[in-house]
Amino acid sequence: MDSLYSLIDGFGTALTPMNLLWAAVGVLLGTAIGVLPGIGPAMAVALLLPVTYGLEPTGAFIMFAGIYYGAMFGGSTTSILLNTPGESAAVVAAIEGNPMAKTGRGAQALAAAAIGHFAGGMIGTILLVVLAPTVAALAVDIGAPDYFALMVLAFIAVTSVLGSSRIRGLASLLIGLTIGLVGLDQMTGQQRLTFGSLQLADGVDVVIVAVGLFAIGEALWVAAHLRRTTGEAIPVGRPWLGRDDVRRTWKSWLRGPLIGFPFGAIPAGGAEIPTFLSYVTEKRLSKHKEQFGKGAIEGVAGPESAASASAAGTLVSMLTLGLPTTAVAAVMLAAFQQYGIQPGPLLFEREPDLVWGLIASLFVGMVLLLALNLPLAPVWAKLLRIPRPYLYAGILFFAAVGAYAVGGEALDLVILLVIGLIGLGMRRYGLPVLPAVIGVILGPAAEQQLRRALQISDGSLTGLVNTPFSVAVYTVVLILLAWPLLRKVITRRRDVTV
Amino acid sequence: MNTPAKNPKNWLREHSELGVGVLLFLLGVLVLTDALTLDTDVTGRGPVGPATVPLVVGCGLLVVAVLLTVDVLRGGRGEAEAGEDVDLTEPADWRTVLLLAGVFLAFAVLIGPLGFPVAGALLFWGAAYALGSRHLHRDPLIAAALSLFTYGVFDKLLGVPLPGGPLMGVI
Amino acid sequence: MRLRTPLALLGSALLVLVGPPLLTTGSGSDTGTQIPGLRFMVPNTPGGGYDITARTAAKNAEEAGLTGDIEVFNLPGAGGTVGLTRLVGERGNGRLAMSMGLGVVGAVHTNKTPRTLADTTPIARLTEEQDIVVVGKDSPYKTIQELLAAWKKDPGKLPVGGGSSPGGPDHLAPMLMAQAAGIAPKDVNYVPFDGGGELLASILGNKVGFGVSGVGEYLDQIKAGELRLLAVTGPKRVPGLDAPTLREAGLDTEFTNWRGIVAPPGLSDAEREKLVDLVTELHGSPQWRESLKTHGWNDAFLPGEEFGDFLTEQDERVGTVLKELGL
Repeated sequence: MDSLYSLIDGFGTALTPMNLLWAAVGVLLGTAIGVLPGIGPAMAVALLLPVTYGLEPTGAFIMFAGIYYGAMFGGSTTSILLNTPGESAAVVAAIEGNPMAKTGRGAQALAAAAIGHFAGGMIGTILLVVLAPTVAALAVDIGAPDYFALMVLAFIAVTSVLGSSRIRGLASLLIGLTIGLVGLDQMTGQQRLTFGSLQLADGVDVVIVAVGLFAIGEALWVAAHLRRTTGEAIPVGRPWLGRDDVRRTWKSWLRGPLIGFPFGAIPAGGAEIPTFLSYVTEKRLSKHKEQFGKGAIEGVAGPESAASASAAGTLVSMLTLGLPTTAVAAVMLAAFQQYGIQPGPLLFEREPDLVWGLIASLFVGMVLLLALNLPLAPVWAKLLRIPRPYLYAGILFFAAVGAYAVGGEALDLVILLVIGLIGLGMRRYGLPVLPAVIGVILGPAAEQQLRRALQISDGSLTGLVNTPFSVAVYTVVLILLAWPLLRKVITRRRDVTV
Repeated sequence: MNTPAKNPKNWLREHSELGVGVLLFLLGVLVLTDALTLDTDVTGRGPVGPATVPLVVGCGLLVVAVLLTVDVLRGGRGEAEAGEDVDLTEPADWRTVLLLAGVFLAFAVLIGPLGFPVAGALLFWGAAYALGSRHLHRDPLIAAALSLFTYGVFDKLLGVPLPGGPLMGVI
Repeated sequence: MRLRTPLALLGSALLVLVGPPLLTTGSGSDTGTQIPGLRFMVPNTPGGGYDITARTAAKNAEEAGLTGDIEVFNLPGAGGTVGLTRLVGERGNGRLAMSMGLGVVGAVHTNKTPRTLADTTPIARLTEEQDIVVVGKDSPYKTIQELLAAWKKDPGKLPVGGGSSPGGPDHLAPMLMAQAAGIAPKDVNYVPFDGGGELLASILGNKVGFGVSGVGEYLDQIKAGELRLLAVTGPKRVPGLDAPTLREAGLDTEFTNWRGIVAPPGLSDAEREKLVDLVTELHGSPQWRESLKTHGWNDAFLPGEEFGDFLTEQDERVGTVLKELGL
């Protein structure tokens, strides 16, 4: 109950006019910058660090929190409208969001994303208030074998997005895994598939792969088959979510945080894997499976909610342990240090005003974000009414800006084009694009955790199953694999008894 | 589809997906060669070294390449992706694709010497032209304004440096 | 009406060519320590060590009125060698500098890059930081001696966690310790983690035998009793921390991480002087003093030529250690 009183005090801090203003400025700036290609939340916070130099710490962090959430939301806007994810957590939003936008349901996709962010952020932050010390203690116990077990589970989940032809889906997954191999081996520092190029040493960024396969690949594919007969613009459609939409999505909004929050809190979690897992879960549970890949609204709502909740989870580890689990958290940690504040076990005791003010302002920021973005959704969606040549030229232009702005390397543009051409080929021959992107995300992470687990156990294979958590996950995996068989047995029994 | 394609040229055209199998096979060979030329005795521990995962992926590629080829020969076909702006009844217009790829490549080459605003404007205009926009008095202006605006936002407001062009420092 | 097309073309050409220079506001005078259009390159990601050093230095120099806006940008990749390659490529550019440190020295060796720090113009070393040897609070090892005894007995069973890839500072420190303790470098079970976050979790959860990290990173966790500090790696004890140096523990070695600034090659003497002057003035400014204190950095200022000699010496030392490891 202590935390409840502290939180009320926190609202006292957050709701002062000045702090309210900083929260609003943060949310606005964050959204505006998050929309820009190539600038994800980490970059946005780093770029805006100087803006806050003049502020006192509480105001500065309230603004940061606004920028963080705003940038995450802005990233999914371009994902949905232009098929051009601004950051890796927004990749999944493009899969269902963009087809929705193309068929005139852009406003609904954006609204589903906005409410998803709101729900995920709210639930995530409530969990942060209630569970912070417990979750933090548990997060520390998650080690390499547990991560690897989760990766195995994720790979099993991939099978449900392979598409109609298993072989072609697998081919796509393997292409992604191959791209994921490029770069320095994380454990020994040896170059793999870099062909001696230093620029390739850090591998190919997931965002470059996603933008290449989605945006460039699609622009080229459309160019090859542009419908020249109808000059009609994309219809804007109704601006609001219909009753049917809400009925389909409210469960997704609530389910997302359950996946996103724990992943955000654990040290190697991040936001990509929970968004993908949420997507797969929604697909499994949906009554409209046939719509997936063509614009299913659950596929936007769930992952976006998960992404937002994972951001809240990130804050748990950062505030209670001083443990940065994502790039954004690392930047915010640096910002804390600018003020001579060290997040960690002592932070709640030393700076209660600041911490609870920050947490309270997360709630405030979320409300502001929703209030700002719901009315804007139909406005954004009108962007798609511009003539096709300009639309696709603009997508190419912004994809190029994003790829170049990150490192200022012309080679990144060439890589982007090559991946775009791969995306074109995949579209021509019916290879689904999604497994490739997932391969790039999962492959390196799974390999790293597998090898780290084996290294910690000094090469002994028992090191993979020596924790209760990993054993539990493998049991789930076994049940999932055996389920079709089990079901047959069960139904047969029933038949016999009947 | 039912017409027996005796003509080898037609047969190849209908089975062009075999090329995908060949490419996957070559990719697999590339991954395997790269993995086998790795220096494996560096401080590695346990059964999984730097080459293990590449070996698995490489073999996987070879297997999938073979399976895909078999599937295609048996008459399986990958379905080309449909979409709102995609008209699959028309034959593919590879000229536009080549033109777009060329424009994009030109952007990568020109951004260094000519700067972002010029190269960016050429990219947008070129892409719009390739896609069929022919407003010769409107397109270049839109392209230039968009490019300059983007440059201003990134370079001046955000401090993400983009090359300004040959006249930087001259004026 | 025919004129409209050429006019539009001319107008857009003018816009994109003349626009950018006009957008650049008054470039400022070139007097004193002022270097108009100076840019700092950071060869790793936002939030990393070099990033904080560069951004703090830039901010302090602006506040102290030493120069106008300094633009800080990140070019991460391959332990800093991507940035280094770019820097060496910007030959003769007196308006560019790069923050770097010991990690880049190691990365040049492990990645076998053709461009090395010998190709750059050394400006100054700014700060240094000792590494620490820590274990979780539930770890069976209470002192550095107990840890070393267990480590010598079976190095493979005692994985060492560090926040840098092979060749980085957190890797070099335990390797030097092993060398001094008579453990064959190949027997050391070093587990690299991405940055400090995952590493901290592994130490807290006793997933690794012990962890090696910069002294500033885990101060709070040590004070809160979550981590047990066993030793510091530098030549002297760290004030306020109750832990022996490695030498006191009987290991004849020491290790200190450092950060500094280098510039592109081929600068004129005047350009080089100017950058060194700017950094020297920055070092003397009250703003920088204040930053050193808030970040817990140790002042280790070493300008110009002497920094160059120091770089050569560090390069040799790192080269020897890594050669023994076969990297």
